[in-house]
Parts: sequence; structure tokens; C-alpha cells
Amino acid sequence: MRTVSGYKATIGALAAIFWKGIKHYTRYPGSFLLVLVMPFLFTLMIFAMGQFVGGPNASLNFAARTGTSNILIYEILGSAVWMTSWVVIEDVGVALRDEQMKGTLEQNFLAPVSRFTLLIGLSLTDIVITSAVFVVVVGVTTMITLPGAFLNLMQAFLILLVGLIPLFGIGFLFAGFVLRFKEPYIFTQILNLLFATLTGTYYPVSLLPYWVQFVSGALPQTYVVEDMRRIVIANQTLVSMYGSIFILLALAVTYPTLGYAVFKIIEKKASATGEFSKY
Amino acid sequence: MRSSKSSRRRRVRQVNSRNTSPVLRLAVEFRAAFLKDLRSYVRYPAWMIGEFISTPLWFFFFALGVTLFAPTSLSSSSPQESGLNFFFFGFVFIILFSTGVWGMGQTVRNEQMAGTLEQFFLAPANRITLIMGRWARIFLTDALIIGYTTILFYVIGGGLVTLNDPVLFIFSLGLYELGLIGFGLLFAGLTMRIRSYNTISNLVFFGYMILTGALFPVSVIPVPFRYLCMIIPFTYFNDLVRNAALATPTILPVAIEYVTTVLLSVCMLAVGFVAFKKIEDEARVRGTIATS
Repeated sequence: MRTVSGYKATIGALAAIFWKGIKHYTRYPGSFLLVLVMPFLFTLMIFAMGQFVGGPNASLNFAARTGTSNILIYEILGSAVWMTSWVVIEDVGVALRDEQMKGTLEQNFLAPVSRFTLLIGLSLTDIVITSAVFVVVVGVTTMITLPGAFLNLMQAFLILLVGLIPLFGIGFLFAGFVLRFKEPYIFTQILNLLFATLTGTYYPVSLLPYWVQFVSGALPQTYVVEDMRRIVIANQTLVSMYGSIFILLALAVTYPTLGYAVFKIIEKKASATGEFSKY
Repeated sequence: MRSSKSSRRRRVRQVNSRNTSPVLRLAVEFRAAFLKDLRSYVRYPAWMIGEFISTPLWFFFFALGVTLFAPTSLSSSSPQESGLNFFFFGFVFIILFSTGVWGMGQTVRNEQMAGTLEQFFLAPANRITLIMGRWARIFLTDALIIGYTTILFYVIGGGLVTLNDPVLFIFSLGLYELGLIGFGLLFAGLTMRIRSYNTISNLVFFGYMILTGALFPVSVIPVPFRYLCMIIPFTYFNDLVRNAALATPTILPVAIEYVTTVLLSVCMLAVGFVAFKKIEDEARVRGTIATS
């Protein structure tokens, strides 16, 4: 049997997995469109509900609690980061389950490609998808409502990219759990909702009880949302946020390592018990 | 064991007999469909637990987001005027509406995906009764989830949930459900025609949340878009149920709104039945019933 090894083979495998993911998205444009539209719809809902509750002073009340009167940018940044984590958890976490349902998981795992390459390949597609979310959702909104902050978007995008690394780690962790416990869709829903609630998607994390803030501190999106708001709305630079960037980098090392280790343990058990073919 | 099997066979023969009354037949079919769906539901306990966790979480997540706009503590205002009470009923509407979109519509889709839709449609039973069986199961579990969320809300919100007129509330909720069944049947029929079912149901769901006054009054929506809200039947269903529960002002004068809502619910039910049958007949001719 011809063995496949070396960096060229790895790049080839990564490219193949990446294109497969892109083809999947282009084949179902409706779901991609939904990813782009949902942040706007959620923001619109929160905005309208807020206007109803706050009445004529809604914007003033909002500014008093958040420090900014730019409600749209504040909320859309939260929505965009939430959608990013939604996409990663759905794609990386649930992809193996989909392969299991289609009966192609065994073929994938029998291919002479390491599991790490497989998981990274799945993640690469999401870099493109989340970039599209950033450009369409954050880029367009900023250009229309806060053109002065448009140049800051590159820094905000960098934060988002760094934040994707620990998120991929969470995706690996989730992929392992899905292999073991099946039924990923309800777990995905709960996880996405927990992320939205805990990471300050539509409100500052300081609004949450103290012990919940402690949990929020362990989630990368909390820092991504906060930093992006500081960059776009408060005109701060990456240098001034070195503390949270350092935490984000630490999480970028911790989560993928932990996620992959758990994934390998579960995979090893699953290969011994024949769990791969069960669904 | 043998006697129970033979008695079951006897019952099946009885039900399929030409002499059996149509009402009894429908009741037996409905019971069978309900039990089938209930069994499928309890077979996946993770789903059950997940639903009980995620539903109140959605509510609290949005409620937290909205508190940023609130002038003072929401619980300090009177219960009838409280925004939280308004949202609470909004979430009840959303849970109920999901029955039509992801409950009844999804029945056909699930069978389609599992490759069992043909068997389902070949069974000597009324398709609509089979779909209604699923509706009944979801209604039951939704009622449990709403009850559980109400208790949570009561505990956390300090007794904010109010019901101004229970009789009118049940009546208006009944009208809502009739309309919803009609809508659900139409949606179940559409699953036989559209491929991007999830995308369309998500968009319809968002449309419902934004345009029907479920989470905020339609008066918040700017005028050109408000006209769109006014032609959606669910706007009136939501408005009437909320009026019965919280004594909020109605869009139309109350008596006219009751008449309008009764007419709408009857019309929607009729349209749902007719549309489902028509789409099914067309799908049979085209051979697209099981195309997913």
C-alpha cells in the first residue's frame, strides 16, 4: 500500500477537506445566507424589544449601562461573534456525526490522514465562513453607521482570528463528545445558547452574577466580543489590550490541546467498542 | 401474550371494518399517531432534557439583553405593565408557533429523511390525523415546558406572571391553536415541495418573531413595515391572547378583533386542510413525495 506522509501530503489532505466544506456550503446557499442574515435579525429583535421597554429614553438608558450610544454596532459585534462560534460548533463539532449518519466516517478514519489533519481541515473552511460573516455583518454595518471606525476593523478581525483557535479546540472537544454520546443537535443548541448568554453577546458580562462571570472568563468569545467593542467603538488599539490578548493566546493553546486529547481518548475507546458505526 | 395479540388484531380488524364509525376510526388513528410520537420522543432523553434547559435559557438570554434599555428595575413596575410579562407571553407564543413549523411541518420531513414517508402514506389511515398526533404530542410537551418556565419565572421574577381573564385566555388560545394547525398543515405540505426546508422554516420563524408583535408591540415597527404586520393573521392571534392575559390594548376594537380572529382561525384551518391535500395529490402525480 502506498503510504502518504510529509507536509505535501498533509497540505493536500487539508486542501481536500477544506474544499469539501466549501462545496457543502455552496451546495446549500440557503443555510449560508441564514448565517449571514441571523446576526441582523437577532440584533433587530433586541433593538425593537429594547425600544419597547425603554421608550423614548431607551438609547440613554443603554448608553448609561454600556458607555456607548451606538446600539447597533454594540449589538451587531456581539451577534457576529456569537454566529462565529455557532458556525464552528455546528461544523467542527457536528461534522463527524454527519459522516457517521451518512456512513462515511469509517472511510474517513481509514484514510491515511491523521485525525488532527482531519479536524484542522474542517476548521479551515470555517475561517472562510467566519471571515464572510465578519465582512458582511460587521464590515457593512460599520461602514454605514460608523464610517470613522472602518480602519479599526482590521484589528478587530485579527482578534476574531485569534479567538477562532480556542474555539476550534472547543469544537474538537465537542466532536469527541458527539462520537461518544451521539445526538449532537440538542447539545449544539444548548452550547450555542450558553455561549450567547455567558459571553456578553448583547450585554456586558458585568451584568451577570459573579460566579457566572467566572465561567465567562474561561470562554474565548468573552474576550473577543469585549476587545472588538473596545477597538471599533472606543477606538482602542491591540497594544492597549495586551492583557486580554495574552489570555486569549493562553486559551488558544489550552483548548486545542485539551480538545484534541479528549477527542483521542474517546476515539480510542470508540474504536475498541465499535462505536463508530453506531447511531 | 397470545390473547393480547389476538385481541389487538381483532381491534385492528374492527377499526378497518367498513361498519366502523369514522369518528371512532379517527380517534384510534389519532391515539396511535400520538403514542407513536410520544414513544419516539421518550426514546431520546437528551432531547427532552435539552428542551427543558434551552427554552427558559432563550427567555433569560433575551430578557438580560433588553434590561440594558430599561429605565429602572423591571420588577418595580406593575405586573400588567411589566415588559417582562410581555416577553414572557412572547416566549409562550414562540414555543407554540414552533409546533406549527418544526412540529407539524417536520413530521413529513422526518419521515422523508428516514425513508419511511411512503409507508406512512400507504397506511390505511388519514394523513392529517397522523400529523395531528404529532401536534398533540408536541402540544403536551410544550405545555409542560411552558408550565416549568412559568414556575421558574415566578420564582425568579417574584410572582410576575398574570392572567387577567382565564376564560377569554383559553378561548383566544384555542383560536390561536386552530389557526396554527391550519398553518402547520400548509407547512407540512410545503415540505413535499421545497428542499431548503430548514432555511425556510428559520426565516418564517424570524419573520414571526419580528413581524407579529410576539416579542414587542407592532407599534414599535416603523409605518411602512407595520402594514405588513397587519396582514399577518398571527399578529391578531398574539394580540388577542395577550389582551386576555395582560389586559393590554388591542389593535382593533376588542369585539371586532374577536370576530376577526374567529374568522381567521376558521379560514386558516380550512386553507391548511385543502392546501395539504392539494400539494399531496400533486406530489403523488409528480412522484416527489419522498424527494428530500
